[in-house]
Amino acid sequence: MANTFDLNRRTFLRGTGAALALPFMESLSHAKAAAELPRRMAFVYFPFGVALPKDDAPGGEWNWFPKAGKTEKDFQFRSVLKSLEPLRDEVTVMSGLSHPRCRSLGGHDTGDTWLTGHRLAAPTYSNTVSVDQLAAQHLGPSTRFPALVLSSDGGVGEPTRSTTISFSRTGRPVPALASPKQIFAKLFGQTTDDQQARQRLNNTQSLLDLVLANSKNVRGKLGARDQAKLDEYLDSVRDIEKRVEQSQKWLEIPKPRVEEKTLDLSATPKGPEEYIRVMYDLMYLAFQTDTTRLATYMIGQVAGATTIANSFPTAAGQQANWHGLAHGAGKKPEALGKFDQFLAAQLARFLTRLKDTREGDGTLLDRTMVLYGSSNSRTHNNTNYPLLLAGGRGLGLQHGQFQQYDAKTPFANVFVTMFDRMRLPVDRFADSTGGLDALVG
Amino acid sequence: MNRWISILVLSALASWARADEAFAKDIRPILQKYCYGCHGAEKQKGKLRLDTLDLNFDRGQSAERWHDALDQLNQGDMPPEDEPQLTAVEQAALTGWLTHRLKAAAEARRSTGGQGVMRRLTRYEYANTLRDLLGVKLDFAKDLPPEPASPDGFKNNGLALGMSAEQLEYYLAISRTALGKVIVEGDAPTVVKARVEKSSPIRRVKGVTGNTVVPGAQYLAKFDEFPREGTFRLRVHASAKVPKGAGLPRMRITIGVRADVQAPQETLVVADVKPGAQVLEFTGRIEDFPLPGHNPKYPGLLARITNEYDDGSGFIKRKPKKPKKGEKAPPPDPDLANQPVIEINAVEFEGPLFDAWPPVNHVALIGKPGEGNEESRAMTAIKRFMTRAYRRPVTSKESGAMFDLYRVIRKRSDSFEAAMRETLALVLATPDFLYLVEPTAGQRRALNDHELAARLSYFLWSTMPDATLIELAEAGELRAPQTLAAQVDRMLADPRSAEFVQHFTDQWLNLSGINRVAVNPQFHPKFNDALKVDMRRETQLFFAEILRTDASALQFLDADFAMLNRDLAQHYGLPQTDWPAGVAFERVALKGNGRRGGLLTQGGILLANSDGEQSHPIRRAVWLLDRVLGTPPAPPPPDVPELDGNSPELRNLSIRQQMEVHREKAACASCHRGIDPWGIAFEEYDAVGRWRENWRTNPKAKPQPIDALAKLADGTELTGMAGLKQHLLAHEKERFAAALTRKLLAYALGRSLEFSDAAAVSALTQHFEKGDYQLRALITGIVQSEDFLTK
Repeated sequence: MANTFDLNRRTFLRGTGAALALPFMESLSHAKAAAELPRRMAFVYFPFGVALPKDDAPGGEWNWFPKAGKTEKDFQFRSVLKSLEPLRDEVTVMSGLSHPRCRSLGGHDTGDTWLTGHRLAAPTYSNTVSVDQLAAQHLGPSTRFPALVLSSDGGVGEPTRSTTISFSRTGRPVPALASPKQIFAKLFGQTTDDQQARQRLNNTQSLLDLVLANSKNVRGKLGARDQAKLDEYLDSVRDIEKRVEQSQKWLEIPKPRVEEKTLDLSATPKGPEEYIRVMYDLMYLAFQTDTTRLATYMIGQVAGATTIANSFPTAAGQQANWHGLAHGAGKKPEALGKFDQFLAAQLARFLTRLKDTREGDGTLLDRTMVLYGSSNSRTHNNTNYPLLLAGGRGLGLQHGQFQQYDAKTPFANVFVTMFDRMRLPVDRFADSTGGLDALVG
Repeated sequence: MNRWISILVLSALASWARADEAFAKDIRPILQKYCYGCHGAEKQKGKLRLDTLDLNFDRGQSAERWHDALDQLNQGDMPPEDEPQLTAVEQAALTGWLTHRLKAAAEARRSTGGQGVMRRLTRYEYANTLRDLLGVKLDFAKDLPPEPASPDGFKNNGLALGMSAEQLEYYLAISRTALGKVIVEGDAPTVVKARVEKSSPIRRVKGVTGNTVVPGAQYLAKFDEFPREGTFRLRVHASAKVPKGAGLPRMRITIGVRADVQAPQETLVVADVKPGAQVLEFTGRIEDFPLPGHNPKYPGLLARITNEYDDGSGFIKRKPKKPKKGEKAPPPDPDLANQPVIEINAVEFEGPLFDAWPPVNHVALIGKPGEGNEESRAMTAIKRFMTRAYRRPVTSKESGAMFDLYRVIRKRSDSFEAAMRETLALVLATPDFLYLVEPTAGQRRALNDHELAARLSYFLWSTMPDATLIELAEAGELRAPQTLAAQVDRMLADPRSAEFVQHFTDQWLNLSGINRVAVNPQFHPKFNDALKVDMRRETQLFFAEILRTDASALQFLDADFAMLNRDLAQHYGLPQTDWPAGVAFERVALKGNGRRGGLLTQGGILLANSDGEQSHPIRRAVWLLDRVLGTPPAPPPPDVPELDGNSPELRNLSIRQQMEVHREKAACASCHRGIDPWGIAFEEYDAVGRWRENWRTNPKAKPQPIDALAKLADGTELTGMAGLKQHLLAHEKERFAAALTRKLLAYALGRSLEFSDAAAVSALTQHFEKGDYQLRALITGIVQSEDFLTK
């Protein structure tokens, strides 16, 4: 199996594509039958943290975390997460975790680090690879798209206020898609002319070779800052080279047919409920069709008043100022709590859809780990992230618990556990110290 | 010296001696009193020792530790509860000092040494360049990821413009699509011509449909045959009936599929219809509009014409009444008689349009079939195209390498045209096209004439240089100061300068904020969202008018004219005799009460800095300080809740009183004393920019009188907008001139300004002031400046 993918791209496609394509397709379908079903991960991020009133304070029931019981299993959801009650056995809520290296960053600066755990230190504020992108590298060409990267704002934003939570192997932000139509077209749009597509891939390959050959000459004539800019371009070229190789193989396999009608692709962030729902729906469909096994969705970035998601709280009848609600949550937890309750209901809907879909002997949710949370506890505080891990019971996760960790435990340990359940050879990530045994049955 | 410069001197260049002096005098005593006990010589709790912590914030770990300390202070975690607490004044002094020093250090770290970096074209520059290079008008940027603004608000900042594999994939896809449009093959396509007279009958269409279009009604033309590619022309034969006192009807034409629901439609144009028979002609690219699928459920292309005239009575938002039992027709809306009506006689469709076959643009790129052999045609075409795309002469080595690539591609392709499409599309994915490269090995050097031509055209046109600029560059004449001045005049007179006006105005004044505010209809029931587009346009056209007429830029602060269309004039409450006839903007002289005039009273600015329900004095003040006066206040410290107007404590207070309560809290006072009064002066304008004398806490509350008396931090009192404008013109002219100079220079250079630019800014500001604040003089000065001519 592995050898198929090592086929030199040029020898592979030198002849007429169709004739050579067959062995590849055969080997792929063979692999699917023999190997086990897919293992997946999704990461959903929201900014600004949550309300954390004390139990006896006014509005105490709007504390995001559940009320702990005598044992981990014996907890009670409070108002915010109550829509997860029917999914109680599919989720674990975790408190106390954070990225130790990121605690001293500005409160608005940690969105970029949620999936990387990297201290954005002066002078460059460069980042490192995010969990999903690292997993994508390991999974390689097993799906048409290595990972799906979504956000409500789209694009990359600016460093420390990125509009994406995914970062490439070189620590550069991966632009997120925001338009449901565009996402659908990318995942399921039908291309007709394979012959032309194949020629184009070969041509692109030739151009990339040319550009890389030329760049050695050019680079030497540039100053350091310009070199850094050119390197950004050249890294992109190298990444595309790899993708071209993958795409050449995937060309031989038709995209899954998905009925556009089942989705509200015209939704925009102006209607937050419809919009968030269709973003979850697209992730669901991407998983269901095995178009990708990794997805990230940044519901909102951490830049405050200038972002699209800042007005989302209107969906829960609150003022159009998420950032402001979070700032006021110390004195008035209910307003933010009601919005977080709305967000939790959207998550519950997504999880339920995954759970209602059969796959093998279990459900789609059984083989999909969904990590949901923020990088602030209350506003601007970079400790005690509100976190919830769902699904993946078929991969060995254990649920129905509220785990309270102390500040010594790095959040990255959750990632190590997830990598382990993905069966990927990553036993260290950022400042991790090991896996979290309580999550694994 | 200008105030911003002195602030900069303090922050960026503060000599250590002076900084240490301030530290020793004001800060160390506070640290000694509250902090050193646990974090000093004797104890180092949390392994933190403050008394010996390095005060140089520019290097090493010390900045991070100080940052940590600032967070702890701000969050109230330090000093611990059972230890003596800082007084508010001490707290403000300490956190203020830390914030200030950390910010200055961060700026120093971001420094590019006053040198621009190799800059990628922005989204809109890329789209414009493709349009001019290929001669195809298509929305090329549609699929590109949105771009971030730099901290100073500009989108053309080289440092902020990144690249990624996804982005590069989009470039490849877009350039292929584009070349596919220009280089054609085969016979000329069939031209579809169709004419519809009576509004097409379509089932299940809601609302009034027919040839007579009152506000809210529609006319539909369905075309069964239509092209899927190319330019089309739509001719509308129409006339208008305009009752006395009403404006011209506002016609919107949308193109798309299905008419039974809010179906996929894109706007082709919004235009006025005048009384009397007329033929209105519009063109577009059919690919920019939603088209029916192949073998669709709802076949046919629809042109929908609506009348969006809004008389402000709320008529357009009213739904037609349903007939009561026993009535055959609903009673006519009494306001109907006062509405202007569009009468449609016919709509004609024609497309695809082309000037010749193969089209002129095709021939310009790859020549005519049969002109020499394929290889020599390819060689010529590639070299010519690269020269234009790279905005400079290319070496024979460069064009030779691309020609070799062509040969490889030709072998894989079915035709010469297909190979050329691919080759030229690939040229557009190279760094030489996507970036303004200006290679230098670090040291500052003069730009060559071709680089200068490119800088100039991306500054004033947001696109590639034209033939005249290239010729001047070839001749080596461009850099002569008189030539540059003459070119600035020529370029500003060219319609392409609208790009500069639009993008600079948008980014300088942050007009995109208009679209981020959702207007609450309960508070503003008559506000029509179409006004948002008009408001943005108003501010852009106002800038254009000042630029065009060489009027003083001080008119940005107060002006005796405005650029308005009818809806805006009506929205602003101008006397009806002054209202323009329709959707087209006109220069309107402002007479009388002085409620309008200048940027500060423009709806877009007022709306973008409100919350969609109420005015937001703090946002307005911050906008004024940042965008107009160039001295943005520091962002609020963490864990500070927003003012909650609904809290029992504040519910019945005016905004001004609420802010006074706010300022009584010592933690807020130190900053807000310097911010709030500026915003109070805007209080005579509501959230959507209308003049008001009263305000209400909510739509049902009793009106209360506006109180717009503001007391600035230095004790100056001013009343309302009139007072604010007077004050600005009397005392803040220099500050405004310096701020505008900085913004314009940063935009021209595509980088953030730094301390090393202070002398240049100062010289340019003086030049600007001496030239009676004419924008043209400032722009010319920038273009002739050392900064612009070198990298």
